[in-house]
Amino acid sequence: MNDLIPLISSSINDTLASLSHFYAEIILAAGFLLVILADLFLSRRFTQLCFLISLSTLLLLGVQSVILLNTKTVFLFGGMLKLDHTSILFKLLFCFSSLLFAIFIRYNSPLQKHVKGTGDLFAILLATLLGMNLLAMSMNLLMVYISIEMVSLGSYLMVSYISADKAQTESAMKYALFGAVCSAIMLYGISLLYGFTGTLNFNDPAFINALKNVSGLSSGVAISLVFIGVAFKLSIAPLHFWAPDVYEGAPTPVTAFLSTAPKIAGFAILIGLLPVFQSEGGQTNTQYFDFNVILAVLATASMLIGNFTAIWQNNVKRMLAYSSIGHTGFMLMALFAFQGSGFQALIFYMAVYIVMNMAAFLIVDEIEEQTGILLIDEYKGMGKSNAMLMTTFVIVLVSLTGLPPTVGFTAKFLVFSSAFEAYRNTDSAVILIMIITAAISTLVSLFYYFKIPLNAFLRNSQIQVMAPGNSPKAYLGLLLAILLLVLIVFPSVIVKLI
Amino acid sequence: MLSLLIFLPIAAAILILILPSRFEKVFKHICLGVSIIQFLLSLFIYLNFNSGTSAAGISNAGQYQLTEKLPWIRLDLGSIGKLEIDYFLGIDGLSMPFLLLSALVMFVATIASWEIKTNLRAYYPLFLLLNTAVIGVFCALDFFLFYIFYELMLLPLYFLIGMWGGVRREYAAIKFFLYTLFGSVFMLLVIIGLYFSVTDPTSGNHTFNMILMMDPANYLDGSIFSAIANQELFGISARLLAFIVLFVAFAIKVPIVPLHTWLPDAHVEAPTPVSIILAGLLLKVGGYGILRICYSIFPDAAIQSSWWIGLIGMVSILYGALNALAQTDLKRMIAYSSVSHMGFVLLGIASATTEGVSGAMYQMISHGALSAMLFFLVGMIYNRVHDREISSFRGLSELMPQFSAFVMIAFFASLGLPGFSAFIAEAFSLIGAFTSVYLPEWMAIGGSVGILLSAAYFLWTLQRMFFGQIRLKGGEEWKTTLYDANIREKIALLPLAALALLLGIFPSLLFDKMNASVLAFVQLITG
Repeated sequence: MNDLIPLISSSINDTLASLSHFYAEIILAAGFLLVILADLFLSRRFTQLCFLISLSTLLLLGVQSVILLNTKTVFLFGGMLKLDHTSILFKLLFCFSSLLFAIFIRYNSPLQKHVKGTGDLFAILLATLLGMNLLAMSMNLLMVYISIEMVSLGSYLMVSYISADKAQTESAMKYALFGAVCSAIMLYGISLLYGFTGTLNFNDPAFINALKNVSGLSSGVAISLVFIGVAFKLSIAPLHFWAPDVYEGAPTPVTAFLSTAPKIAGFAILIGLLPVFQSEGGQTNTQYFDFNVILAVLATASMLIGNFTAIWQNNVKRMLAYSSIGHTGFMLMALFAFQGSGFQALIFYMAVYIVMNMAAFLIVDEIEEQTGILLIDEYKGMGKSNAMLMTTFVIVLVSLTGLPPTVGFTAKFLVFSSAFEAYRNTDSAVILIMIITAAISTLVSLFYYFKIPLNAFLRNSQIQVMAPGNSPKAYLGLLLAILLLVLIVFPSVIVKLI
Repeated sequence: MLSLLIFLPIAAAILILILPSRFEKVFKHICLGVSIIQFLLSLFIYLNFNSGTSAAGISNAGQYQLTEKLPWIRLDLGSIGKLEIDYFLGIDGLSMPFLLLSALVMFVATIASWEIKTNLRAYYPLFLLLNTAVIGVFCALDFFLFYIFYELMLLPLYFLIGMWGGVRREYAAIKFFLYTLFGSVFMLLVIIGLYFSVTDPTSGNHTFNMILMMDPANYLDGSIFSAIANQELFGISARLLAFIVLFVAFAIKVPIVPLHTWLPDAHVEAPTPVSIILAGLLLKVGGYGILRICYSIFPDAAIQSSWWIGLIGMVSILYGALNALAQTDLKRMIAYSSVSHMGFVLLGIASATTEGVSGAMYQMISHGALSAMLFFLVGMIYNRVHDREISSFRGLSELMPQFSAFVMIAFFASLGLPGFSAFIAEAFSLIGAFTSVYLPEWMAIGGSVGILLSAAYFLWTLQRMFFGQIRLKGGEEWKTTLYDANIREKIALLPLAALALLLGIFPSLLFDKMNASVLAFVQLITG
């Protein structure tokens, strides 16, 4: 005990010094408390106060992140967290996604009309965002676990926020149970890794070295177990089962959020853990476990399952859920050349993906609120009754397919080229198969994405659906769609940040 | 100049989108105005085009004319260097004739759009977007830019066929889309491979510059498409594989047998103006792509596969002609005749001789004008009685003398009567095929048989539909609706007929302008 006493002052100093790099999270925590207080005492009189507080918190956060963007790498709180360019980029992506989510909640009438009010939802959002920020900075397995749990808990609550009918309750329950099992497995994996290496700080070279001395089989098992926890967040095959049900059952804004921010958080931690996962690859004894091969197989499987299953979906939200599984598989391709072009390709793709996905769900929600239609079959003739909305939708879908003249093409192109670079460096047949699968699944994705314009524009319906005027949500969707068109001409807007 | 040509339609499209709907009547005039301006601009370009050997273009960046180059995307890729994408436009003798053709075909298609009555606010912007994409493809010299324009053609076409098409329009639209996308997705992979292999000698960056890709010296040592390294993929030489992938992508557009099945469906279901653009321009994009990209970037693989390409060309000529002979629907017959005529383009290119390549280029321009004319004529009949079965009509020449005169010009020109453009084009392609060292003679003979067959189906159709006693399926009622060509239709048809005749009598009008480029091209591929 006495040995530790001299350490106290240095550790206090470290903590105090770290705090000055921790403003973003402090802003978030303050915003979180403010929202709770406002919801408790002032929500009757100022109904949208919580929204305004969250909005300003998020804007402040975004500005702060942009200012700090090119900061030097610093380790905070005794090596628990690392603040560097990469983590700030991720924070910016989370912030952007949350910002759109907040506006989405504001203009979603089922949530607005619900007896609970939306105050709690905003509080949960800020807390989840805090969890994601910590996740992007984590350098310690325990920190990873805590922040993943923070994100998961927030997600469970959001999914079950309304729970109006049985299906919604069921999907929320499924999500929570499945998530709990996965995080338990992950925790087990972490404990194994700790047992092998004696440290939880995975940035420590000693950690990797110790891991290399363990037999390939045991370290492979431990790594796989940890990876399961991450894969659950990413919803890649074969851990994707929850996604379609949850995406269908959850309120649409929540689905939009779940398909973007937590997924990207999963990538953030996957990138952080990549050296650990790949540690076996450097060894000569790789017969048990080659993480890159596993990742390539999973990426291929996700693309195939996601895209092919999406063909048979009739519910728009379910279709987008499967398509997002496909997109995740596609994004995984960028990880193979991560030291080279992969990093930029991935961040670019994610930024574009947030815009596309959020816009798609905004429009789906707008259509549902205007007409009550959620099935693709019933979109017939919608191109006439609400031309602006459907045109916006088509632009977004073109971008999701990855065709010019939308920035979805540029994003897809960058990921393809980074995968190609990985192939060139390794000459691995698995990667080549993955690239060809990606090309084929692009073709397949056209098939299901274009079912929507096919119905909306090419077919006519007997029943004329009268659409009331568009809400601000539709205009936000339009704005995002225009952004997709503009960004292909000026991709440097995003590239400069990276 | 070229940017103006490309982006003028987009500006007009935006104008149409923001104009209030009470101006709906002037949309078509805006569109027509755009194509007239484009035509005058491209005529100006044609007249001022430098056709000397010092401006041949092809693999020499300095010899391109009207070049515009702006840095567009610069991305630092870490270990492998920098990525360089330019906004790079320019024309040479291979692309300049297409600008003139595009403007002319767009003009005719706009006039044919008078028949479109529904949803004009969607129709004209899509039409103009297509216009932009087509001109962009012919001007782009950066592969990335080229690909963007190339893909951009798909979306408007999908909606144009799908929304204003015939009964089976859904099927035709998605079939067309999937076919083309299938080719272009794999093309994208080749593009990525190319830019990893090629660096700009001045800046050292990886580049998409097509002209730099044509020079073997710019390939990195040991890179996947380097001719010296001779890498293999799946046991085939990587360069040959890349050539095949690119060739298939463009050949779907041309189209070649057996990848042609989208074409009859798309043509038959598409409204007249879209058929005109499809036959008049989009098929040429395929041929142009083969010349500019497949052959110029992979000449070694191209020469290696000459025999196969020649065979595909000959089979397309014969198969298309035989199919045309068997059709009962006039539009379908013309669609198959397109397949047959585009086969000459392939045969000419495969010969790798100056005559053959000139013939192929000439055939593309000539067929562009003639097929636009043919589809316009079919559209006229269909518009009047909503029927285009060959057997429903007889003795039309008595009922519609002027219309029949135009049909005869178009038919005789298409079957290769001397004095019309197609004669010169087909003759040169066949001379090329006969003299080529890469093609056996029976291929050229097969091609000649194709001309005979095309005479058969055109004359037979002419006889069935236009000669003899007037006998119509719709009886007396049709006699009143089948009025002769009106002023608007004559305005559209006259320039096309004039072009076919002019090019048939004065071939030097076109040959002079492109000869230097064709020579440089043949020099490049045969080394």
